Amino acid sequence: MIELTGLSKIFRTELVETHALRDISIRVNEGEFVALTGPSGSGKSTLLNVLGTLENFDQGDYLLDGKSVKGLSDRELSTLRNEKIGFIFQGFNLIKDYSLFDNIELPLRYRGFKPAERKRRVEHALETVGLAARRNYHPSQLSGGQQQRVAIARAIAGSPRVLLADEPTGNLDSLMARQVMELLDQINRDGCTILMVTHDPDQARRASRQIQIIDGQLSDAVLYDPLAVA
Amino acid sequence: MEQLQYYFKISLISIKRAPLPYLLTVLILSLGLGMFFANATFYYRLNSDPLPQKSDKLFFPMMLLVPGDCDSGCEPPPVLSYSNVQKLGSSGIPTAQAAMYSSDSYVRLDSKQQPLPVRLRLTQRDFFQLFDVPVLAGSIWPDNSARYEVVIGKQLAEKLYGTADVVGKSLLVDDRHFTISAVINPWQMLPRLYDANNGSHISETEQLFMPLETAYDLNYMSATMSRTMDDTDYRQLATQGRTGALHQLQFWVQLDTPAQQKAYKDFMLQLAQSEQAAGRHPVHINNQLPALRDIVRYFGRESGDVKAYALVTLLFLVVCIFNASHLSLNRYISNQYEFSLRRALGASRWQLQQQLLVDVVVLTCVTLVFALLIGAASIQLMNYLWPFNRLFASWDLSLLSALLLLSLFCSYLVTLYPSLRASFGALNQQLKE
Amino acid sequence: MSVRLMIKTMLRRKVVTALLLVQLALTLALILNSMVLAKQTHERLQEPTGLDLANTLLVQIKPTTPTLRLYPALGELLERQLGAIRQLPGVVAAAYTNQSPLLQGGNNGSLYKVGNEERNNLSTVPQYYASADIFQVLGLELKSGQLPQIPQSFDSDSSTPLVLTESVAQKIFGSDNPIGQATNQGNVAAVVSDFYGQRSADMVMYNTIRIAPLYGVDWGYSLLLRVEPQQVVSVRSQLDNLLRQVDSNIEIFHIRTLQEQHQRLYNTEYGLSVLLALLSALMLLVTMISGYSNAHFHVLKSQKEIGIKRALGANKVTILLELLAEGWLCTLLGGLLGVVAAVLLNQALALVISIPVLSGWLVVFTLLLLLLCVTLATWYPARIATRISPATATKTL
Ligand SMILES: Nc1ncnc2c1ncn2[C@@H]1O[C@H](COP(=O)(O)OP(=O)(O)O)[C@@H](O)[C@H]1O
Ligand SMILES: [Mg+2]
Repeated sequence: MIELTGLSKIFRTELVETHALRDISIRVNEGEFVALTGPSGSGKSTLLNVLGTLENFDQGDYLLDGKSVKGLSDRELSTLRNEKIGFIFQGFNLIKDYSLFDNIELPLRYRGFKPAERKRRVEHALETVGLAARRNYHPSQLSGGQQQRVAIARAIAGSPRVLLADEPTGNLDSLMARQVMELLDQINRDGCTILMVTHDPDQARRASRQIQIIDGQLSDAVLYDPLAVA
Repeated sequence: MEQLQYYFKISLISIKRAPLPYLLTVLILSLGLGMFFANATFYYRLNSDPLPQKSDKLFFPMMLLVPGDCDSGCEPPPVLSYSNVQKLGSSGIPTAQAAMYSSDSYVRLDSKQQPLPVRLRLTQRDFFQLFDVPVLAGSIWPDNSARYEVVIGKQLAEKLYGTADVVGKSLLVDDRHFTISAVINPWQMLPRLYDANNGSHISETEQLFMPLETAYDLNYMSATMSRTMDDTDYRQLATQGRTGALHQLQFWVQLDTPAQQKAYKDFMLQLAQSEQAAGRHPVHINNQLPALRDIVRYFGRESGDVKAYALVTLLFLVVCIFNASHLSLNRYISNQYEFSLRRALGASRWQLQQQLLVDVVVLTCVTLVFALLIGAASIQLMNYLWPFNRLFASWDLSLLSALLLLSLFCSYLVTLYPSLRASFGALNQQLKE
Repeated sequence: MSVRLMIKTMLRRKVVTALLLVQLALTLALILNSMVLAKQTHERLQEPTGLDLANTLLVQIKPTTPTLRLYPALGELLERQLGAIRQLPGVVAAAYTNQSPLLQGGNNGSLYKVGNEERNNLSTVPQYYASADIFQVLGLELKSGQLPQIPQSFDSDSSTPLVLTESVAQKIFGSDNPIGQATNQGNVAAVVSDFYGQRSADMVMYNTIRIAPLYGVDWGYSLLLRVEPQQVVSVRSQLDNLLRQVDSNIEIFHIRTLQEQHQRLYNTEYGLSVLLALLSALMLLVTMISGYSNAHFHVLKSQKEIGIKRALGANKVTILLELLAEGWLCTLLGGLLGVVAAVLLNQALALVISIPVLSGWLVVFTLLLLLLCVTLATWYPARIATRISPATATKTL
């Protein structure tokens, strides 16, 4: 599904060069739930961004579904993001003035679905996250947990192959965090590959695999806890 | 004082931080003001009252004293015949009264000189009193009878003789000898309302004045408007012109009190009735007595183009104000965080308002300079396109102070809404944004 | 792109959008009206005058001494002046006349068929007293009758033969043959083709011509010259000197081609058209600045949102189009308001000047112009917006 080989990413500013990712090679299989852990500033978000084609990389290669993303045009990358990848951000990143429906519908519009199809998918996604009754609410009228569920609905509405989540529970209290995690579990069970950045060891343990990054490199001890797979 | 300096400093810093938006704001505002002001100058001057103390006391009587039936509208003609002036002048009611018209002449000191074209006003003794013409030297004609004496303007005297001390000197007007009886000071009646009936009120005042009777004796034809309503030969002013229906005269009367005005109206009515009885007046009586201050409107001689352009420049100004406030809103929103920070650091609303007032003052000054430049350029252009309005292009103190107030007002408007947003908006909301 | 969502975005920026809409509306109103006015002025200047404007020269002149203003001295002066002018190479014909064509107003009088005074009384028909060559100079075609050849004094008891232009003959005599008919001004001798006389006359093409001595020259008189096309400039440059050599006791008011004379007739309208065009251009500029700053600021404020959209799969073109479409929507809304404003402004202007009503295709054209300008103004900020990285979505700004 996802194959990174010797991938490096360097941020260059006038003053410094930051090696955010160094020689990373990972393989993630279809249906896996991978937790990315590591100290702050170690490059987790950068890795997720590269995986989501939000940022390019300097060396190595990245194969998604067996095809390299290198050299794809902006248009192709956009389509790829739109069709295959779903994003969940720490700060929810909903558009303030759009209703829940409009927010979830947005990527479907870019995909060029017909209105009826869009409606069906949005409603299905809203049901999945349990917010069907609030489709005309605006993000500001919801709690943080609810907002994150809307973001998840937006991410899955287009039936992506991969869901990338950057600290999805970072801004939530524990109760809400649990709700979100249950939702992600369910989505994973339905067949979607998930990569999630988290600081919470409990959450990390729920994943089928943990990958730790320290200082832009994969840590030697790739933690794997078979018990968590259940 | 020190505080004020500080405000100015902050003002300049915030201009420097984003010079382009500020420059655009100034540019747009001064464009609007400049264009508006240029036309407002003409509008104001063209509509100004040259004789505010007596413009409601001078009247232009008109009657339907014409041969034949009136055909369409039965409006009294805007010019009077010699005989009608005599009838209208016989009342003894006005404080002063004078008939007049204008003509062209060539003037020189002797027959060897090259003749100089000079616009003539052919009028009667009271003209100078009616319109407050300042006499420099000599005396105006003692009565309205024909005499070979002219009144001359100071500039013309200096041009011809090199001096203004010319009373008693002789002059050739169309090669006839005239004596100068008086010299008048430079005098510009703007607009020259006594000539509004033929639309010549936007040109310069005359420099040479000749008694009306003499002019009729010498067959001076009207250079503006003359109408023959019967078969009078308009070249025979001395004879037929005095009796026939050759209409070319303006007639002004000064009626100081409401009683005088009423008496004069009654006199006109009686005159119309007796003329009617004598069979010299159509059935329909239509006497008119418009006052000097209404005369331009009465004759429909208002400048439609200046008015139209006034409307449009006003719209343009409105758009520019909208636009400038739009730009400055963006500017202030960019600075909003700083404002909020200042509030958070304990600046009172009043202190922030003071800062804004200083901003307004700075904006006003810069805008004013640009607006004046643009206004001056625009006036040049308008003078080029509409040369006939050139006399009305000058600025005076009241116009300039009006511009100052206007730009202050506009600058304030442009700063007002943003300042409200910046200093009265909810503090926490701003910090959150 | 959904119109509903764009309107939502605009509503979020209520004040700014309202300001922009008002501006767009007023801009449209002004441009529309100044275009109508410019069009009218242009059309008026293009209207046929019946004259060869470029190749006819006009000298307005007046003798400066009283004796020269009276016959017989005046007659001699005219002979000498015309004689000298005819000697100039390039001059085809020359004539004197009491007034030139293409005037605002001038010497005119009433005209009616004798015995039919009530029905077809025209109150303001220009009267020309001219020498026989006037028809050749003005290039007037003889339509019927015979052109008078010898100047016949207007004062004499026998009536002076009258020449009418076609349209005034038509107006007064209808389908009857006008030749030989009596008018209050004399018997009709000939009918010639129409030419532009006076703007304030009953109709600009109504004119009467008599071959007669000048009735009086207190207002000066005109010398009209028909010149070979290539010689206009050279003849014109010699005229002043030539006439002063013939007799120095003259004042020359102006020497113009009829083209210039025609232009001057519409000076006021032309001036207003120029001023309005200038103002429209400035207004457009101001609106473009406004559109630019609005879009620029909007992009700055919504970087994060654009980043999110990019992350969700919007490509650069989509982002560009979204921003441009917002501008277009705004323009269209402003345009709708603008049409209302334009009609109001048109009515207000019609109170003080003559201005035609607005036409549909002009509205469309102006709207397109406005759209183009707004697109240009939004283009640069929109391009900047497309450069916003999708990674912006993940940053906490
Ligand atoms: N846009 C950027 N420009 C420069 N440096 C960056 C940028 N984004 C991240 N970095 C740097 O890359 C490193 C990894 O950051 P990040 O991936 O955000 O860490 P994490 O998500 O693990 O906390 C950090 O040192 C950070 O400062
Ligand atoms: Mg991170």
